[in-house]
Amino acid sequence: MLRLFATIKKDLLILLRDRGGLAIMFLMPMAMIIIMALIQDAPFKDYQELKIPLLLVNNDTGSLGKKIEQGLQESKIVEITKSTLANEEVKQKIKAGEYEIGIIIPAQATQTLNNGVNRFVSEKLAVAGIGDSTKKTDTTAQTLDLQILFAPGTKKSFKATILSSLKQSSSKLETQTLLDFFSKQLASTEKQSDTYPLKEFINFSEVSTVDTPAEALLLNSVQHNVPAWTIFGMFFIVISMAGSIIKERDDGSFMRIRTMPGSFITVLIGKISAYLIICMIQCLLMLLVGIYILPHLGLPTLQIGNSITGIVITAFCTGLAATGYGVMVGTIFSTHQQSSTFGAVSIVILAALGGIWVPVYIMPETIQTLAGFSPLYWSLSAFHKIFLNGGTVSTVLIYDIKLLGFFVVMLAISYFYNKVKKR
Amino acid sequence: MSVNTAIEVKNLIKIYNGSLQPAVNAISFTIPQAKIVGLLGPNGAGKTTTISILCGLLQPSSGEATILGLSIHKDLQEIKKLIGVVPQEIALYPTLTAYENLQYIGNMYGLKGPQLKKKINEHLDIVGLSAQAKKRVETFSGGMKRRINLIAGILHDPQIVFLDEPTVGVDVQSRNLITEHLHLINKQGCTIVYTSHLMEEAENLCAEIVIIDKGEIITQGEPKALIAEQQTKNLEELFLKLTGKKLRDE
Repeated sequence: MLRLFATIKKDLLILLRDRGGLAIMFLMPMAMIIIMALIQDAPFKDYQELKIPLLLVNNDTGSLGKKIEQGLQESKIVEITKSTLANEEVKQKIKAGEYEIGIIIPAQATQTLNNGVNRFVSEKLAVAGIGDSTKKTDTTAQTLDLQILFAPGTKKSFKATILSSLKQSSSKLETQTLLDFFSKQLASTEKQSDTYPLKEFINFSEVSTVDTPAEALLLNSVQHNVPAWTIFGMFFIVISMAGSIIKERDDGSFMRIRTMPGSFITVLIGKISAYLIICMIQCLLMLLVGIYILPHLGLPTLQIGNSITGIVITAFCTGLAATGYGVMVGTIFSTHQQSSTFGAVSIVILAALGGIWVPVYIMPETIQTLAGFSPLYWSLSAFHKIFLNGGTVSTVLIYDIKLLGFFVVMLAISYFYNKVKKR
Repeated sequence: MSVNTAIEVKNLIKIYNGSLQPAVNAISFTIPQAKIVGLLGPNGAGKTTTISILCGLLQPSSGEATILGLSIHKDLQEIKKLIGVVPQEIALYPTLTAYENLQYIGNMYGLKGPQLKKKINEHLDIVGLSAQAKKRVETFSGGMKRRINLIAGILHDPQIVFLDEPTVGVDVQSRNLITEHLHLINKQGCTIVYTSHLMEEAENLCAEIVIIDKGEIITQGEPKALIAEQQTKNLEELFLKLTGKKLRDE
């Protein structure tokens, strides 16, 4: 333990006395958060033009369900996945963020619409003396209730757009159905027909998918950029760490350490721990920037969800992934110039793929597939789940496991590279 | 192996990956305890490879070596407790103070608390750096850094110290202080294996020398005896006579 703590203390002292390194580690991500959050504030309000994943449960066997589905497809703003799930299961899927929107068309929807329209038309024709006035009609026309569910982070303007689009297509259906019934009724009488005001028979009622106010958050510029650039800053520690490893190797310090009794792994764990501490401090400071500084710049306050444990574990796993990558870069490259260039460029690429600059869902499909291989994407997804979808430790476990796996793979590569090189 | 033998090397061979020529070619030699022994040779002779194998930094391709009776193949962790290494590079952390550097090295050898503090202060006092203990190493001159580099290798009182050109690039005063310090720890029973290109320094410092070239031992013995035997004026002339005047730029 003495060797471990001595190494942690040594590396922390070196890091804290490197003012340039500290600026890169703390000021750079802080500046990125502020600048990018300000720049992206407006564009983030316009993402409704995207093709949104929609879960459609059509329980209707008639023509109405088919026409609604056709209308949605023609709108070209949604990507439809059909399902036969129960209402509660649909709610859970939307809540978990698997789909942005869910629509449930009830059973007998076509019949309910037809019955409603039939009653309405008969009543109006009877009043006009065209139909059979002796026939008793139900004056309380039934309304067809389609359920629509939105993911917790969905923006209000986006919801309005979708609802408006659906109402527009439903109006057409209503009109068409009314015209059909009027035509049938008029064909059976000799009287002239009048025009009648149309009644709206279809009502969309939004079903809330959030249980607490904290879950009703929006993916705005702050909610995206704070975790995104925090992760980027944590990964940028690769440059400092790889540089430290190369310097110690070049100046004979590693050689001296390797001639000392005890395992070199202890020294490596000590170094990783020191940088991990810095990563955790970085994460804390950046989140505080989102909570306390950004609101003073006219931006929304960062909402961090309800799972502090989830945040700590995700930050820890992200830090491990970043330090593991630092060890690998520092082991494989022989000069500081090589490691800093490769480190910076590779992190920028992984960041771009991982949705740090712009959300992954607006990227082309091929890039979205590649994003799945970026540790920055895993980390960002985990933070988004916690911040936007009320995610907990178990919700983000898969991402944290992937980050840990990345850390292990990086160390394994470094170990085998060293082993081969030592021969 | 004699009880007075510090290091015994038998048929040690090292061929690096991808190389056809052995860096060390079946060398055998012994180094007695409590002696200062110079391992001398031109660039690329195999000195650093030999020392790296003895310190456990490299695996030999074949052959055996023992340090104080312990095998480098089986007892490496035990050996590491008994040896100290002073690399040619200034293997210190520039932004740490002299004291912090030595404290870290001491901790790595399991030393701590008052015992470590006492040792650091004693050594700093001997090499004349007590007043600079709390200053960062990056502010030191080359000679001061070399002296701290030396202390870092002997702080844990090793029985054998390997020094790779410990006085390269330092002024006469610092060199004198370093060699005096080496004599002092040698008198306390420490075996010193020393490499250098400074033949005059080696002649004055070493009780024995081993001259190595192209991975093979050329000669071994007391400097004065070897000089007399080869009828040369000094160690430098002897060295040139045995290794040749051809430049070794590889």
